[in-house]
Amino acid sequence: MRALRAPDLEALIALMRRSDGRIDYLAGGTDLIMARQDNSWADLIVDISQTAGLDVIDISGDMLRIGAGVTMTTLTTHPVIRRTAPMLAMAARHVGSVQIRNRATLGGNIASAMPAADLLPVLKCHAARVEVQRRTGRLEILEFDEVVLGRGQTCLGNGDLIVAVRLPLALASGRISAFAKLGPREVLTISRLNVAALADYDPVKNRLSQIRIVAGALGPAPLRLKTVEIVVGNRTVDQSLADDFLFALSQAVDRTIPGRATRPYKRRAILGLGLDLLRDLFVYEFDCTALPEQRV
Amino acid sequence: MDTLSAPHPIPVPDGTDTEIRLEVNGRKHVVNVEAGDRLSSVLRRQLRLTGAKEGCLEGECGSCTVLVDDMPVNSCLMLAIQAEGRRITTVEGLSGPDGELSSLQQAFVDSGAIQCGYCTPGMVMAAQGLLLHNPNPDEPEIRYALAGNLCRCTGFQTIVEAVKAETAR
Repeated sequence: MRALRAPDLEALIALMRRSDGRIDYLAGGTDLIMARQDNSWADLIVDISQTAGLDVIDISGDMLRIGAGVTMTTLTTHPVIRRTAPMLAMAARHVGSVQIRNRATLGGNIASAMPAADLLPVLKCHAARVEVQRRTGRLEILEFDEVVLGRGQTCLGNGDLIVAVRLPLALASGRISAFAKLGPREVLTISRLNVAALADYDPVKNRLSQIRIVAGALGPAPLRLKTVEIVVGNRTVDQSLADDFLFALSQAVDRTIPGRATRPYKRRAILGLGLDLLRDLFVYEFDCTALPEQRV
Repeated sequence: MDTLSAPHPIPVPDGTDTEIRLEVNGRKHVVNVEAGDRLSSVLRRQLRLTGAKEGCLEGECGSCTVLVDDMPVNSCLMLAIQAEGRRITTVEGLSGPDGELSSLQQAFVDSGAIQCGYCTPGMVMAAQGLLLHNPNPDEPEIRYALAGNLCRCTGFQTIVEAVKAETAR
């Protein structure tokens, strides 16, 4: 086993093209070090935690580009992220502890592809595209769903690396967003469920025209809830919308995990998450006593 | 550890030991590590800095917390090779040259925030990391900053009070 540090992307790409054998790219390490605690490290560990070029956050044209090495702490605090993708900042704030957030990275969250990962529903909701540097030297720009395939499964082959994520600004511009998470405790907790929403809302008319909703920890990969989106799209925001929204969320759980032992818990839990989402999105006194469980 | 640069040939694997340079508590060290050695292990076993504890070894308990460039991290979830070029501060680095406690450490003593003491170095370093970036945190901010550190003795209240006491000085 040997370890190298890549000072910049140029050196990193040169390395991946010239070497053969297994490579472990190590950024924050908060997942990978756990996965390799049986000392199953690849022959070559490449430390990319200080690689210049992986830590960029910039806006070019209508795209927000975030380097794969950007930490959760930076996602939480960076003014550009907070302004253009506040839901991403919010989700990053819910990841692990201060210690974890200071190390864990955006790229790591994607590459680990855990069903409960907090950033993944947000990225899918933002219609993120992912820059994948192939070992062959080719840079591919892939849709989120082409990268995250299932529990712990990605399109990454040995030696491939996620370099950055691109969020189209037009999709989020002028829209409101919210992220809600439910875990066994308030902090340092792995999501039992999480939901991200991006909504086109006119506060003057109190009208919701379109909404994108993505749930995490409900399936092996983040799941867009299009049926729920249809139920609440093009409507006035009121208690009736809330009732239908929550009912549709529960139905989505029933459809997604019909035989799963966690279904009875998750079909109820998603009601609370849904209510949290609505309260974050809209200034409206939704009635929490009117959860439509009788209809469920 | 070797640092790559683009024009140079890729080094050929030549063994398991890697020589790294670490700066810990202001002192520079050269140590030989295995590539997969955790920072917590190297601090404790090679540098004999046993303040940071290896409690859970999975980032849950926070007892291994040290500062890396003034940011609290779990030293059990960072390889030693990744610490090269970074500034590491352990709890041993807070006390004075004659071993006198820092004011934050003294606040822990004065507030009764220490019982068995196992979590204390991690708690102190997490609090130190908070205070370096936010000298006047309120209670929710203190609790948020210490959420990654478990204590099974105190019930946390005296620990929060210790940090409050330090901010009030």
